[in-house]
Amino acid sequence: MTISEERSTEVTGAASGHPHKARGLSWTQRPGIFSQNIITAAVVAILGYVLGHWFGNYLSSGYDYIQNSGQNNIANTLALAFGVVGWLLGIGALNYPFAKLFGVDGLEEESPVDNWTKYFRYSLDHKVVGLQYVVGVLLFLFTGGLLAMAVRAELLNPTTHLFSPDTYIKIVSEHGTIMMMMMTSVIVGPLGNYFVPLMIGARRMAFPRIEALSFWIFTAGFMVIFSALPYGGFPTGWTGYAPLQTQAGPGMVSYLLGFAVIGVGMILAGFNQAVTIINYRAPGMTWSRVPIFVWSILATAALLTLATPVLFAGGLFGLLDKTVQTAFYVTEHGGSSYLWENLFWFFGHPEVYIMALPGFGIAAEILPVFTRRPLFAYKVAAAGMIGVALLSFFVWQHHLFQSGINPDMRPLFMLTTELISIPTGFIFLVGMGTLYRAKIRLEIPMLFVLALFFNFLIGGVTGVFLSDVPVNVTVHGGFFVLSHFHYTIMGGLLFAFMAGLYFWLPKMTGKMMNKKIGKIHFWMMFVFFNLTFFPMFIIGLLGQPRRVFSYATNLQGLNDFSSVSAFLLGLSFLVFFYNLIWSMWIKPEIAPANPWESMGLEWQTASPIPPYNFERIPVIMTDPYRYSEDGAPAFADLGNGGPSDSSTHSMA
Amino acid sequence: MSNTLKSTGPSDTPEEREYEMRAHISSIWTGSRLFIGIYTFMLASLVFSYFYLRSSNNGLLWRPDHVTAPRPYGLLVFGFSLLTSMLAYFGRKRLVKGSFSDFSVAAWSGVGTGLLALLFQILEFSHLGFFPGSSGYASCFVGFAVMNIGTLVISAYWLETTVARGMRIRRELSGDNPEFSSHPRARAFRADVASMAYFQVFVALTGALLFAMFYLM
Repeated sequence: MTISEERSTEVTGAASGHPHKARGLSWTQRPGIFSQNIITAAVVAILGYVLGHWFGNYLSSGYDYIQNSGQNNIANTLALAFGVVGWLLGIGALNYPFAKLFGVDGLEEESPVDNWTKYFRYSLDHKVVGLQYVVGVLLFLFTGGLLAMAVRAELLNPTTHLFSPDTYIKIVSEHGTIMMMMMTSVIVGPLGNYFVPLMIGARRMAFPRIEALSFWIFTAGFMVIFSALPYGGFPTGWTGYAPLQTQAGPGMVSYLLGFAVIGVGMILAGFNQAVTIINYRAPGMTWSRVPIFVWSILATAALLTLATPVLFAGGLFGLLDKTVQTAFYVTEHGGSSYLWENLFWFFGHPEVYIMALPGFGIAAEILPVFTRRPLFAYKVAAAGMIGVALLSFFVWQHHLFQSGINPDMRPLFMLTTELISIPTGFIFLVGMGTLYRAKIRLEIPMLFVLALFFNFLIGGVTGVFLSDVPVNVTVHGGFFVLSHFHYTIMGGLLFAFMAGLYFWLPKMTGKMMNKKIGKIHFWMMFVFFNLTFFPMFIIGLLGQPRRVFSYATNLQGLNDFSSVSAFLLGLSFLVFFYNLIWSMWIKPEIAPANPWESMGLEWQTASPIPPYNFERIPVIMTDPYRYSEDGAPAFADLGNGGPSDSSTHSMA
Repeated sequence: MSNTLKSTGPSDTPEEREYEMRAHISSIWTGSRLFIGIYTFMLASLVFSYFYLRSSNNGLLWRPDHVTAPRPYGLLVFGFSLLTSMLAYFGRKRLVKGSFSDFSVAAWSGVGTGLLALLFQILEFSHLGFFPGSSGYASCFVGFAVMNIGTLVISAYWLETTVARGMRIRRELSGDNPEFSSHPRARAFRADVASMAYFQVFVALTGALLFAMFYLM
C-alpha cells in the first residue's frame, strides 16, 4: 500500500464503506455509546478538572501563602489544565500521539460513521473541521455579543446602574477577551480550513491531525476563558495589564491559561495552513497563480506561527507568577509590569492583522466574481499582504506610547506604524481599482464586501491619526480608540466573514441562503453598526474613558443612541441566525453547483464535494481571475472532462 | 504489512502518487523548519525577558547576591541534552551511510540520555535554593526551567517515536532496509529522521545559549 493510499484511507475513513474491517478499529472508534465524541470529551474533561483540582490542593497544601487567601491558584490552574487534557483525551485527539510511541504510523482515527455525528467527533476531513469551526465561531460570537449587549445596557444611564463597577469591568473584560481571541480564528478556522485545500487543488491538508487538534484546542480554550466568570471574572480588560493582573483573583488564571491554550491552537492552525499552501499546491499553480484569499491565509499563517509563541510565553510567565510565585510582572520583586505590555503587544498588534488580512483576502477574492473583471494589480495585493505581515512585527510599541517606552523611541514607532498604512493602502486600492468602471452585481456577498471597504476606510483613516503621538496621547484609553478598533475589526473582519459565509455556504452545504432575509440582515447590520460605533468617536473626543461604567451626564444622549443602535445591531445577528435556520433546515433551496459563476477552483469540483476533493489532481492552466477575457482558457484542467456542470446538487 | 489493503480513495495514477509523496516529504521538511521558527520565537520571549529585567534592574533586584541556579544540576541537564542531540545527529549520519542498527542504538541511547536530562531538570526545578519570586533572575530561571522541561519532553518524544517507527517499518518491510528502500513509508521515515536530527541540533545550540545566560553570565 502506498503512502498516498494510506493517506487516502486516513482521510476518508467511513467513506470507504469497509474501513472497520480494513483497519481493525478499536472499540473507542466504533459507533455506539463508547465511541469517542463530544460527550466522552466532556465527561473526561470534568474528570480531569476534578483530578487536577485535587492534585493542586495536594501539592500546595503545605504552602504558607495559600492559607487565608481564599484561593488556590495552583489547584485552579491544574484543574483547568487537566480539564483541557481530558477534553483532548476524550475526543480522541491523543490516541495517535500515544500510539506513535509504539511506532504506529497512520492510525485510523477518523469517525467511522458518515452521518451528522461526525461533526461531533475528531475528524480528519478538512471539510468537516471547517464546518465545525463555522458552528464554533458563531457560538462564541453569540456569547461575546450577549456580553456586548450587557455593556451597552449598563451605559444607557450614567447614574442608574444595572451592575456594580466591579461586575461591569469583568463583563467588559470577558467580552473583549472572547471577541479578540476567538475572532482570530473566525476566517482562518472555518473558511481557511474548508477552502484552502480546494482552492489550491489539494486533496487534503498537510497535517490533518494537527488541523483537527487545533479546532478541539480552540474549543477547550474558549471554555477556559469562559470559566473566568464562575471564578469571579478578571478586571483587566482584554489586555490583562500588570499590576492589575497580579492583584486579580482566580478568574485571571482562566484568562492566562485560556490565552496560552488558544495560542497553541492558533499556532497549530497557522502551521498546518502554511505547510499545506507551500507544499500541496496543484501542478501549475505557481505563486503568481495562487488565489488571493490563499495569499492572505499564508500571510496570516506566518503571523500566527511566529507572533503567537510570544503570547504563549507571556501567558506562561503570568501563570508562573500566579502559581509558583515568580515575579516576572512584579516590579517590587525585580520584575516589570512593562514586560507584560511588551510581550502582549508583540503578539497583540500582529493579531490585528491576523484578523484583518483574511478579511482583505475574502474581499479581493469576491470582487472579481461580482464585477466580472480580473483582480486589479493582483501582484500588488499579494505584496501588500506580505508587506503588512512583515511590518506588523515592528509596530507593537505604539501601544506603549503612554507607558513603558522611552519617549525618544516614540518617533520611530510612529513612523513604522504610519508605514504600515502603505501596504494596507495597496490592498485597498486594489479593491477600488477592481471596482472602477465595473458592472457590479449587488448580491449579498458583494454588499458585505462594499460595506467592508466603507467601514475599513473609516477605521483605517482614524488609525493613521492614532499612530501620531500627539493624537494618541490625547485620546488614549477613550472611546475614540474603542470606536477605531471596532471599525477595523468588526467593520472589516466580521463583514468579511459574513461575505464569505454568504458566498461559500452554497458550496459547503448545497443550499442557498435566503436572499430577501439576507438583504434585511445586511442593511440592518451595516446601518446599525455605523450608528453604534460612529457616535463613539464623538463620545471619545468629548472625553469618555473606556472600561468605566459611569460617565458625564451630558454624554447620555449619544450613549443612549449608541446603545439602542447596538441592540438593533444585535438583532441583525438574530436575523442572520434566523436566515441560517430557515435556509438550511426549514425551507432549503438547493444551490446550483456554481451560483455566482466563479472561476475559482473550489467551485469547479463536483458537488457535493467528494471525500478527496478532486477525482484527479487538477492541473492549473492560467491566472485565476481572467473574467473579462473572451476565449480565456479554463483556470484548471480537472482531468475528468473539465469543470463540473452547473446542475443542481443535493447534500448527503 | 498493510499493503494488501485496497485504497479507499480515488484511483491514483503513478504520477499522482509520486506528486503526493513529494508533497508529503516536503511538508515534513517545511514543517520541521517552521516548528523551529515557532520554538525560536518562544525562546526569544524568554531571552527578551531576561535582558529586559536585567537592564531594568527594578529595585536593584535583578540578581541580588549574584545567586546562581545549582550548577551541578545545570551541567548534568545541559550535558545529557547535548549528548542526546549528538547521538541523534550521529544516528542520522549512520542511517544515511546505511546502518540502521547503528541508528537504532544511537537513537535509543539518545532517548535514555534525554530522559536523564529531563529527570535532572525536574530535580533542579524542585531544589532551586532560592525563592522563585526573590528576583528577576530567579523568575527568569524558573521560566527557563519550565520551558526546558517542555523542550526535553518534545525532543525525547520525537526521537523515540522516530526510532520506534523505523523499527516497525523495518519489520513490516520484511528484510528491505528503510535506509535504502524506495517504499513510500521508508522515504517518509528518512525525511522524518532528517527533520528530527535538525531539531536536535537546534536544541543543542539554544541549550548552549541558555546555559551560558543562566549559569555563566
